[in-house]
Amino acid sequence: MRHILGLIIVLLFIIGFSLVLIVAGNYILPSHEIGMLAKYYLYLAYNPWQRNFTVMSPEAVTSIVWDFRGLDTVFETAVFYLAIIGSIALGRGIVKYIKPEEEELGLSLIVKTVTRISAVMIIAVAASIALHGHLTPGGGFQGGATAAVAPLLIIVIFSHYYLLEKGVTKDLMLFLRSLGLTGIAIVAIIVYLIALPQGIHAYVLQNQPKPDSSIGLPAYINGQLISGTLWFFNLFEFFAVMAGFTIVFLLITIPERAFRKEEEGEKQ
Amino acid sequence: MLTYEEIMLLITALASVFSVIAVYYAIIEKNLVRAVVFSAIQSTIYAFIYYMFMAPDIVLVYIPVAVGLYPAVILILISKTEKVEKQ
Repeated sequence: MRHILGLIIVLLFIIGFSLVLIVAGNYILPSHEIGMLAKYYLYLAYNPWQRNFTVMSPEAVTSIVWDFRGLDTVFETAVFYLAIIGSIALGRGIVKYIKPEEEELGLSLIVKTVTRISAVMIIAVAASIALHGHLTPGGGFQGGATAAVAPLLIIVIFSHYYLLEKGVTKDLMLFLRSLGLTGIAIVAIIVYLIALPQGIHAYVLQNQPKPDSSIGLPAYINGQLISGTLWFFNLFEFFAVMAGFTIVFLLITIPERAFRKEEEGEKQ
Repeated sequence: MLTYEEIMLLITALASVFSVIAVYYAIIEKNLVRAVVFSAIQSTIYAFIYYMFMAPDIVLVYIPVAVGLYPAVILILISKTEKVEKQ
């Protein structure tokens, strides 16, 4: 009864607060310049007639995330990288491979068979989300987070050791993650590196040609739209995020039995 | 007569009210596993609201993280501690 009363009070508060916000929203309006900025983003996201300003990507969100405001996303990726380093530092030196032999690991055969099929499908959907990030909603982070569900399912349903035996170890994931971040760093300055020997001036995180810099990555490769740097950014971000999440799952599911035995051994 | 847009907004408002109920039960629930389930229900409703607000990029990152990864991580952590919250 007390819970129902509390729930009603919370709901009334939320609904009343929403009404106040609606009334306040009529008076607090964003300035005219901010509205113009949104219009320009939409106008220039895919605009082959404005080659010096466009991103050549029909996906406005990805154009903003990796081109107009690309530096923000690079730093976000760096923050994610450092956060995972923190969890690796907490789990340092505790990688052990002591597989219990007495019983069969994991859940039943039915669950395992379903997971064998669905894990492949999850990876396929994730790759599609990441590699089409410049065409349809999605992108590197979305694809990476989706792909990370597959190793998690395998850990829960097959066991920690199954993933390790298949070669998905912490070191491999660390390598993939570092490869992803290095790739993002290289793509961020690749236009500058191409322009440097030719004596043309270019910017960091440049994608398409700018008014005072006539160089840029090709928007089409063999007739396929890749939007210059966006496709490469999404690809590398996919690897960085997927490998980062997988490391956390590998560390979080380390079986405690092996360590408990060792601690008991030390006490005796 | 309500227009199509108004009906969609009403459904979204109703969904957000249900998400508040889910949050309330997630907070007061003493059984941690059930609290995680309530939290996952709230995340599902939020994903729906993002979809109604035409933000498919956020939906695509919200579904795997808030419905898949986050409850799974919390459940793994609960399995290493105790199932019921004590006073």
